[in-house]
Amino acid sequence: MPRVVIIGERGSGKTTFLGLLYAAQVKSGTDARDDFRFHVTYESLDEIAEVFQQLMSGSFPDAASKEGIHEIRFHLSYGRAGGFLSRLRSRGSAPGEAASFHFILLRNLEDELSPFRRGTSGTNGKLRDILDTDAIAILVDCTGLALSHEERAAGSMGKYDTAVESLLSTIQRSRSRDLRSVLSPIFVFSKFDSVRPEALRAADVESEPPGISKAGPRSAYARALLSYNLPKTMAKIGVREARGLKFATPSYWFSWVHTEGAAQGRPPKVRLRRSGAIGWEPDYSKDEYIALLDSLRTIATHAGH
Amino acid sequence: MPCALLGDRASGKTTFLGLLYAAQVRYGTGVQDDFRFHAPMASLGMMSAVYEGMKDGRFPSATLKEEITELGFIFGYLRKIVGKLPYYIRQQNWAHPFSTLRFSAYDVSGEDIEEFIDTGIASRPLIQQLLKSVVVGVLVDCSKMTTEIDTPVYKKMLRYDSTVAKLIVAFQTYKKQEYDRLKDSGIHPEPPRIYPVFVMSKFDTLHDDVLARLGLHRGFPEGKRQRKEYAEALLRVFVPQTLSQIRGGKVAGVSMDKAAYFLSWVRTETQEGMDPVGQPRIVRTGFAPEGGGEPDFSYDEYVNFIEHFREIAHKIPDEILEAEKFADQAVVRSA
Repeated sequence: MPRVVIIGERGSGKTTFLGLLYAAQVKSGTDARDDFRFHVTYESLDEIAEVFQQLMSGSFPDAASKEGIHEIRFHLSYGRAGGFLSRLRSRGSAPGEAASFHFILLRNLEDELSPFRRGTSGTNGKLRDILDTDAIAILVDCTGLALSHEERAAGSMGKYDTAVESLLSTIQRSRSRDLRSVLSPIFVFSKFDSVRPEALRAADVESEPPGISKAGPRSAYARALLSYNLPKTMAKIGVREARGLKFATPSYWFSWVHTEGAAQGRPPKVRLRRSGAIGWEPDYSKDEYIALLDSLRTIATHAGH
Repeated sequence: MPCALLGDRASGKTTFLGLLYAAQVRYGTGVQDDFRFHAPMASLGMMSAVYEGMKDGRFPSATLKEEITELGFIFGYLRKIVGKLPYYIRQQNWAHPFSTLRFSAYDVSGEDIEEFIDTGIASRPLIQQLLKSVVVGVLVDCSKMTTEIDTPVYKKMLRYDSTVAKLIVAFQTYKKQEYDRLKDSGIHPEPPRIYPVFVMSKFDTLHDDVLARLGLHRGFPEGKRQRKEYAEALLRVFVPQTLSQIRGGKVAGVSMDKAAYFLSWVRTETQEGMDPVGQPRIVRTGFAPEGGGEPDFSYDEYVNFIEHFREIAHKIPDEILEAEKFADQAVVRSA
């Protein structure tokens, strides 16, 4: 089962990210075309359904829901081409390509990393999972993007950069003998709708990222933002090691969920929008999440599942 | 053939069984005489009480609901060939005129299954019976469906969706675990095979404009595929997690793709311009040659439900026997 470790600063939207990923699965998994299906393990459903309920009722995940989520297991199945095969599939004869994913959420990067530094990593199951991960989802909180090099170095983004780079180095060291080992970095720009325009200007990029279909310009846009804000991490990923763990080409995703009614002393509410004739859904970057779900297929292939 | 009936609290399980019984009585006394049923004493006593109450315009009482945990009927379907024989021959026992099917409904809640998944121990014999269930009926309560996002009912619907989705996933997990256990103990069972039946209960509570906006008419269309599409159109909007996990069963190795969908409603008395006070009363039909003074309910849908089992009784008795054989082996081994 491919593992995906999710990391991010406190409040960067890790639980919301998982909740929206689940919402995208529910949306795709109920589509009339029936070309994507997924199953959630019973234990995971208990936790993620709570987050989904909150998002669907206009609230961000509360502290209790955040505390409850540590890992989620999804089994994803992508349909084959339509026509005859599709008809067979609906009769149960030809199931699509399937992969199970184990998402592990690192709630506090600093705390979780300390055992590595103490050299006790091998004895803890969760830490073992982190070291053996197939992909790492690095959440970049866009509200904290730096306006200048000085601000980055002195601010939380600089610390986060150091922590991510350190984690990647540790994973790389632990898998130095594994010649076929691949780690797929997934960069998720969270809260992109709240990014400060000055931060985008400082990184010399446009106000909007290119669309999903424009892979080249989109990568260039994301790399420009990351090189400015997470230079150590980007340098780490860019180095091609002759032996051991290799980093796959990173993928970049822009996450946002529109909010409303943020008043003094009141937390912002998730804005809901119409979905279909009479349904509702959070007003979020759905296309990004659906494309991300599709890209997980590649990670499963790299991981040999 | 045991049938587990799953449903959240107050989703209408007892009413469903009461209406099924009413449909059996009416259908089983029709002039065509191609369906008969028999009920053991305990079940008959219970269902008669529910049926009597409904004929008196009352929904099943809470006390009665508490008492119902297991109900059994034997359905008899006239064989097609036998049906063409002269009446005298048809009546002879040696002609085996009816294909029979044991329909047992167990009232199982999510907590019952949850306990098994958490502990691996089925403390209640009822849960052990689940192992034998080839048909699983899931009640989806339409009264929980709403489009008004700023109402408490909307939040209730979201919770209900999670509950039913969890119930379905719990059942799938249970079946898969049992299958793996049998495999590990040296038995080579067929992959879990179940015939899910989804009943959209309290369908009359859905507003016409909601159906119209979804491009649906009131009532199911003809044809299995069309019925499925109709039901899925509703599930997609109101209980999407549930639909996603019905479909997801296949990914988990417990396919629910052969699901059949039925509607259930029972007309209740309404006072114009007034909100009902207390438990609503059931509207009863007038007397006619084919019967009368009965609850006004979706009789045709219940007949479809009964007929659905005719198909299963005729076409797949061997599969069911096979499943029961494996289940018995499992019980012997675990004892």
